[in-house]
Amino acid sequence: MEDEEGYRMPILTLKFKKNKIADFPMQKGRSITIGRRSNNDIVIENLAVSGHHAKIDAIGDGFVLTDLQSKNGCFVNEQLVTSHWLKHGDVVNIGKHTLVFAYNDGESRPEEAGGQADQTIVMDTNLYRDMVNKNNTPTPASPAEKSQVIGVLSYLAGGEGEVTLTKKLTKIGKDAASDIVVSGIGVGQTAATISIRPNGFYLSHVGGFFKARVNNEAIKDSILLKEFDVIELGSTKLQFFTKD
Amino acid sequence: MYTIESAGLSDTGKIRKDNEDTLLVDDDMGLYVVADGMGGHRAGEVASQLVVNSIRDYIQSCYKDKAAAPSGLADHTLSPAANLILKGIILSNEVVHEAAKNNDDYHGMGSTVAVLYINDGTLVAANVGDSPIFLIHKGQIDTLSVMHTVVAEHKAANPEGADQIGAEYNHVLTRAMGTETTVEANICEVPFFIDDRLVISSDGLTDLVSPAEILATVIGHPPKIACQNLVKMANDRGGTDNITVIALQVIKSGNRQTKLTNLLSRLSRILRQSLALKKDNGRRRGL
Repeated sequence: MEDEEGYRMPILTLKFKKNKIADFPMQKGRSITIGRRSNNDIVIENLAVSGHHAKIDAIGDGFVLTDLQSKNGCFVNEQLVTSHWLKHGDVVNIGKHTLVFAYNDGESRPEEAGGQADQTIVMDTNLYRDMVNKNNTPTPASPAEKSQVIGVLSYLAGGEGEVTLTKKLTKIGKDAASDIVVSGIGVGQTAATISIRPNGFYLSHVGGFFKARVNNEAIKDSILLKEFDVIELGSTKLQFFTKD
Repeated sequence: MYTIESAGLSDTGKIRKDNEDTLLVDDDMGLYVVADGMGGHRAGEVASQLVVNSIRDYIQSCYKDKAAAPSGLADHTLSPAANLILKGIILSNEVVHEAAKNNDDYHGMGSTVAVLYINDGTLVAANVGDSPIFLIHKGQIDTLSVMHTVVAEHKAANPEGADQIGAEYNHVLTRAMGTETTVEANICEVPFFIDDRLVISSDGLTDLVSPAEILATVIGHPPKIACQNLVKMANDRGGTDNITVIALQVIKSGNRQTKLTNLLSRLSRILRQSLALKKDNGRRRGL
């Protein structure tokens, strides 16, 4: 088996007990799904096998087996795995069926284990999505991750309602072009900014005679805003909080 | 006012035969870039060079000719400077993708990119892949980049479950330059302050040297020495990958003394004028 670049590809052999059922040649850049339902590439009609049990992705020159949260799990060489880089001779057990992963003699094989690990590669997006989806508790840790966390400023004085921090850099000051216009003597044209950084929302001093105060402390440079911090500048008072 | 003192250093390391990293240090434009290429047969080197050159050329063309700056597709949540960088990254991705598609030797190549653009008192940090950007402010080190790796994204989604992922995923990226037709970069804009320091590197450094060690090194030394020390540290620990570091330091320009002298001379001039006025008044009264 050769792909268009002349690389030789390994073969998966499906067996039940000692009987060979079929051979499935692997292809570079192509994923293979394994399960009981008929829309899988390798269909195993057995109740011990989940509808969508596992998949094998081609990553770089290697292949990765990923268990798709199957009921009975995937075993490679009798070890339970969630994900596993397949090596020549690996025996995968799914239910009572066996898949043997093998390169033919003399085929070029990717370097195993160590060799594979220190090479930077880009992951197939489907495989990645599956892995993330397997985590049922998505606690958004940083606002940069698809910005699930939204920062909001709620007026306590000097205005009404809320301001949602949609911009990467929100400008606060006297200048009419500011995102949040603040009046008062000694307030800078741009007095302060709030930037969205990977680990949170930062308020920074920019200019003007009076500095913005966070919880009554004048901010000389930058501070990471915490939930319900109170920001004061000129005649304006705002409270910071986040929502999903 | 400020000036930026900068230095950059790239080293092949102890294991690899080639250096697939590329760096750019351009103080005139305020543009600093690290790209870490991947792909066999020197394709990684080609990819990282294409990334750096295409971003540099684009920013340069806009820098000279303001009309060439992006207008149409601009993201309104970003400043013009940030839009410029974002557009540069998108164009650069297309350049690498096209090259990879049209040349068999370059098939499948890609690169990371980490960009710092210092313009008009703000700093734009953008990245794709796993080359980090650090901001060191008041003795604290913080990352401005977001790591597009399976491990990092898994950790963000589920902090407790991060250990489930094996070491084999350490270098598996979820995004890169040139591997797909489009790319989404992480971007952030922050003000900066005198004495802040910034570090951009390839993962060849951060795999072997911790952020705390980077912090200690850049605080204690000027950028040039900091780069040399960091590269040496990574090489002493095995130099398993190419090591690239750019270090920047924000320095006050026009020293304090001249400012103070200016202020004093202005004050004394005002005093002299008002005294002269008083004398004048007195003289008049005396008459």
